[in-house]
Amino acid sequence: MLLYNLRLAARSIRRHPVLTGLIVAGIALGVAVSTTFLTVYNTLARDPIPGKSDRLHYVRLDSWDPRDAYSEDGAPPQQVTYQDLRRIMRSDIPTRQAAMFKSRMYIYPEKAGDRPFRELVRLTFSDFFPMFDVPFRYGSGWSRSADEKPEAVVVISSELNDRLFGGENSVGRKIRIEEGEFRVVGVLDQWRPRVLFYDMTQNPNQEPENVFMPFNFIEPMEIQTAGNLMGWRQEEGDGFLERLHASEMAFAQMWVQLDDAAQVKAYHSFLDAYAMDQKKSGRFQRPLNNRVTPVLELMEEWEVVPRQSRSLALISLLFLVVAALNLVGLFLGKFLARASTVGVRRALGASRRAIFLQHLVECELVGVLGGLAGLLLSLGSIAAVNRFYQPGAADEAFFQLDARMVGAAIVLSLIAAAIAGIYPAWRICAIPPARHLKNQ
Amino acid sequence: MLKMENVTKIYRTGLVETRALRDFSLEVEEGEFVTITGPSGSGKTTFLNVSGLLDGFEQGKYWLDGKDVSRLSDREMSRIRNEKIGFIFQSFNLIPDLDVFDNVDVPLRYRGLSAKERKERIERAVAQVGLSSRLRHLPSQLSGGQQQRVAIARVLAGDPKMILADEPTGNLDSAMAREIMDLLEQINEAGTTIIMVTHSPEHAQRANRQLHIADGRMVDFERIAPFPLNQVHPVQETARRTAS
Repeated sequence: MLLYNLRLAARSIRRHPVLTGLIVAGIALGVAVSTTFLTVYNTLARDPIPGKSDRLHYVRLDSWDPRDAYSEDGAPPQQVTYQDLRRIMRSDIPTRQAAMFKSRMYIYPEKAGDRPFRELVRLTFSDFFPMFDVPFRYGSGWSRSADEKPEAVVVISSELNDRLFGGENSVGRKIRIEEGEFRVVGVLDQWRPRVLFYDMTQNPNQEPENVFMPFNFIEPMEIQTAGNLMGWRQEEGDGFLERLHASEMAFAQMWVQLDDAAQVKAYHSFLDAYAMDQKKSGRFQRPLNNRVTPVLELMEEWEVVPRQSRSLALISLLFLVVAALNLVGLFLGKFLARASTVGVRRALGASRRAIFLQHLVECELVGVLGGLAGLLLSLGSIAAVNRFYQPGAADEAFFQLDARMVGAAIVLSLIAAAIAGIYPAWRICAIPPARHLKNQ
Repeated sequence: MLKMENVTKIYRTGLVETRALRDFSLEVEEGEFVTITGPSGSGKTTFLNVSGLLDGFEQGKYWLDGKDVSRLSDREMSRIRNEKIGFIFQSFNLIPDLDVFDNVDVPLRYRGLSAKERKERIERAVAQVGLSSRLRHLPSQLSGGQQQRVAIARVLAGDPKMILADEPTGNLDSAMAREIMDLLEQINEAGTTIIMVTHSPEHAQRANRQLHIADGRMVDFERIAPFPLNQVHPVQETARRTAS
């Protein structure tokens, strides 16, 4: 019977192309708006490292001003100090761990005549790469021993590799960064997490840095952060190193991989014990407030997905509902115009339910057409959002219509068609058949 | 086949009540060919609608094929309409955008028959009315008489026990009307009960029994006797005058 109803629906659509076109356009518009905003929301809210996000934890220690909390909601500072990260990284509880911060440094190309340029560089530890499943095109990350000395090695992005080495396998080649010469040990493959989850202290929608180097170059090269600096007291000490070691300025992000609840509990206890120990030397005077937070929870807490995008997604769904309600009249007019043939079908044995289903199937077929047209429209609107969001970006579009969104668009169009069609379908099946026949 | 006892059907429009059938009683035996005449507004169509389960009624009882059908759900009424009743209308009531095959197919679709059985029934029924060569024609491509034959084929394909025909020859010229009447007689001879509303005395006379409706009540000519044979009963006279 479904196939029969589909055939009748197709016939009706062909018979009333203008009216059907209007309804399809209405649904398409609603679906396009909804799909666009849902895609934006979905892209921003999606798990940036699926399958692993629950094991990756962000570490925060409350070493803040004893007289004044870091934030009104009681959260500890977003980053950790140098002295704290050096000490807590001695723990062997985490499966992997990496502190990190970003800086901006000059790179001097080999080729004579090429001008030096500034690049964002992330200073981190060797665990960064396996911990965050970073993909490599050539080579790999550096070894743990390279962290210690530190060795003059770098990992570069494929974009930088294209720029400096024409895309060749540059492993073993040298790059001059500031005053030092660094050996390339790895070239990243295309890597564009939807959210820069490993550093969400600034714009979480930035692309990963183009250079990664061992964290411990911070001291010999006296590297300053290009990220946020969070302090609460006048810094003391002479010179970079002395101030760095004594600083209460929090500037580094700290991540640990904890594979189960026991590990999380043990690490949390370790942090509390560390804070208690620090209290003896006059630090950590606030109540214990250390946090070990998984990726998605942190995204939620820091509202990485802007509230506006969630609101817009909800408003766009309401827009679809309003668009659908506006189509009720069109469907009603279309159905009532054929009341006499409905009367004939009723006389020949069609039940109310059969008539209702026949008309609902027609609504849903129109809805699917609207959904497909809406998808085409949303391709255009998403491209427009991408241009607005990343002007001039030549790489892969940030917001993309994925299979889930295509599915959502079809489901939304079916729902919209049901909203628009249920009342007209009910009206046409509820009229007594004798009345329809009189109109024939 | 059909039995109605004191059926009353009221139409309400605002505060106005119209009694379309008043204590209407009738019994039609299986295999009968009954014609009904009556003036406009006398209740003929209402009777057909009620007897065809297209409309309900306020009071009385109705048995169809031995089953009380006075108060049934929509689903049950639809099933009975589909399986036991065939309708033939004055304006043919074919679905304009379906061809002959698909029009005849409509009642069979709601019966849930297999595609093979539907096809066999359709081809047989259309052959019976002599339109095998027009299976893929749309109603608009057929003459009035051919359209009414398609409507009859639609009934034949469903193989109902009773046919309700509402002025089936009303829109046809006399030659075509005779053809349709011949077809109906053949169907009746094969055992199908037919109740036909008509304004034509000629066609009414071709039935086994002629009934007359006036003011929502039934007047059965055969039950008017005993009355002196050399005189015309006043009711019969009124009925004949109105019918002609």
